[in-house]
Amino acid sequence: MVFEASILDNLQQFFLYTGFANVTLGHVIMILIGLFFMYLAITKDWEPMLLIPIGFGIVIGNIPLFPGLQVGVYEEGSVLNILYQGVRQGWYPPLIFMGIGAMTDFSALISNPKLLLIGAAAQFGIFGAYIAALALGFGPSEAGAIGIIGGADGPTAIFLAGRLAPDLLGAIAVSAYSYMALVPVIQPPVMRLLTTKKERLIRMKAPRAVSPTEKKLFPIVGFLLTAFIVPSGIPLLGMLFFGNLIKESGVTKRLANTASGPLIDVVTILIGITVGASTQADKFLQWSSVKIFILGAFSFVVATFAGVLFVKFFNLFLKEGNKINPLIGNAGVSAVPDAARVSNNIGLEYDKTNYLLMHAMGPNVAGVIGSAVAAGILLAFLA
Amino acid sequence: MKKFYKLTLLLGVLFCASTMYAQNISDMRLNEVLVTNTEGFEDDYGYRSGWVELFNTSYGTVNIAGCYLSTDPNNLTMYRIPKGDVLTSIPPRQHILFWADGVKERGTFHVNFKLDDAKEVLFVSTDGKTIVDRVAIPQLDTNQSYARKVDGEGSVKQESIIYKSLYKNMVAKANANDTETVEGWIKTNVPTPSTNNLTLDGESKGALMKEVDPYGLFLTFTAMFVTFLSLIILYVIFKNIGKFHIKKKSENAVKAMEGTGKSDKADTSGQVSAETYAAISMAIHLFMQDNEAHDFEDTVLTINKVSRTYSPWSSKIYTLRETPQLKK
Repeated sequence: MVFEASILDNLQQFFLYTGFANVTLGHVIMILIGLFFMYLAITKDWEPMLLIPIGFGIVIGNIPLFPGLQVGVYEEGSVLNILYQGVRQGWYPPLIFMGIGAMTDFSALISNPKLLLIGAAAQFGIFGAYIAALALGFGPSEAGAIGIIGGADGPTAIFLAGRLAPDLLGAIAVSAYSYMALVPVIQPPVMRLLTTKKERLIRMKAPRAVSPTEKKLFPIVGFLLTAFIVPSGIPLLGMLFFGNLIKESGVTKRLANTASGPLIDVVTILIGITVGASTQADKFLQWSSVKIFILGAFSFVVATFAGVLFVKFFNLFLKEGNKINPLIGNAGVSAVPDAARVSNNIGLEYDKTNYLLMHAMGPNVAGVIGSAVAAGILLAFLA
Repeated sequence: MKKFYKLTLLLGVLFCASTMYAQNISDMRLNEVLVTNTEGFEDDYGYRSGWVELFNTSYGTVNIAGCYLSTDPNNLTMYRIPKGDVLTSIPPRQHILFWADGVKERGTFHVNFKLDDAKEVLFVSTDGKTIVDRVAIPQLDTNQSYARKVDGEGSVKQESIIYKSLYKNMVAKANANDTETVEGWIKTNVPTPSTNNLTLDGESKGALMKEVDPYGLFLTFTAMFVTFLSLIILYVIFKNIGKFHIKKKSENAVKAMEGTGKSDKADTSGQVSAETYAAISMAIHLFMQDNEAHDFEDTVLTINKVSRTYSPWSSKIYTLRETPQLKK
């Protein structure tokens, strides 16, 4: 009898340690969100490289825990907490930027450097969201961190949010990556709304061949210039251009392969899973998260507006034959290469032989530089 | 020549390494000195004595173990800061206090001299020769300290020719018994041991921005201007690099044409059209065909068996390395 009672006591005590005893409605909602992300990635093929780690991370982070087990992402010294430091302290984003640099071919931009300006114009999305976030009652630092979602660059958003508003990091990161996956849904209506049929049919001149010397010079000159203007952006800009140099130099193929392959894959896995795990229900399910998601969508729309309208404005000063198809204006956000793909697909809808992909890659990669510069400016003013 | 490059590289690395080392210790500054302490701060033993405060001006941790404190320029190694104490690692922008009670047995931060008759205090590097910082102590009242107005800022540099002449002036000023003596230093009746000499306004940049720019328009305008400026400059530079490249390419093309003795004008646009490529390809193809320069492949496939030693480590069945494919 005593033995049975003891067993029952033990089982009862053990039950208190289980997730079933500690579950709340918030946990269930978050787990469902995580599962939904995985569903979108697996069945719809929407950004699977990001949504699967983030989705699974959300599930990991929302398993109800008995506090003090030292396994949660916010419990100091736990494995997840140690991995999360890469997000919290901002180590992962520069490493991802190095990989992006090693994967990116800036030829389209070098052959037609005026496309750089579209990458600058699209950064209005960041500051449009910044103004809106201030109006919704966020403080300047928080508004800056939210605004960067409009740069459509996950690593930059994480880097800046970690410095300016660590409490909002989970919501900002998930929002940034979700909207990056939704670029093909958000941008086309805005692009169609702002362009005429005639404009959509504009054929751009074929890009000229770019010499290897120009390609090698680009990361060096690009870094020196941007870093001198915005030193606070050095972690991102430095790694981006460094990654590109090891690719273009032609003598560090092994380094380039590692940066653009295994290294970026490892960091993507770690960043995805820890960002997901950081969205614990008690920290994530708040009104501020809802506002962040609304502002994120708004920032993408503003960025697309600004990019397309800037091209139309720019065309007023360009000669016939040199005009830019406004459909590549949306690619000024740095969601590489999704935004460029959207430009291409919309262009093909109206002219089956007008391939805009290579042209759109110019503003697309300029957007990466532009958003890193904008992040540096926000950091300098608000950190 | 290769040896020269290697030697230069080695010297460069050594120079950088030595500079990095020097940067660490040289970031330390004497920050505040109190000679006679009867009412102020007590040490861990409950005694009051004079003290010397050091400040780490850098944004990295500096370990001062092995450095020296002295009051005599002719004996720079009066007190050696012991190694092996974790507390000698000074965090970024933080202070450390040394008690000048003359009883070094009380621990790392109790030096073996007193400040009563001291004319100056010197902080010396681990080599026992390089003076990192020194300050001439003026005539101070009881419980009055001599401190930098802002932590780590003000005169006093490492020993150099310029410094030596400046230092004479400083000593003269320090002994002049003025309230403010040397540039950046001040006599104060409110000593601040182990804390900031000047408490800065704690308002964050964000809070200031909220006051200055509540609607975010100023920041938006500034940031967009800077972003555009950066990319416009980049645009101008690469526009010109591109032009230069095209010009050079066309010059090379002209030279090549002149070499062949043909008078046709070279294409100076720097762009080769797809039609040109197609024409060149067709010409090469016809040339090969006419001269029978290209043989026909005999289309014989040779399959050689590749023998591999079996190992479970390389077995796909055992290691299950197949990636599942989504069926739609």
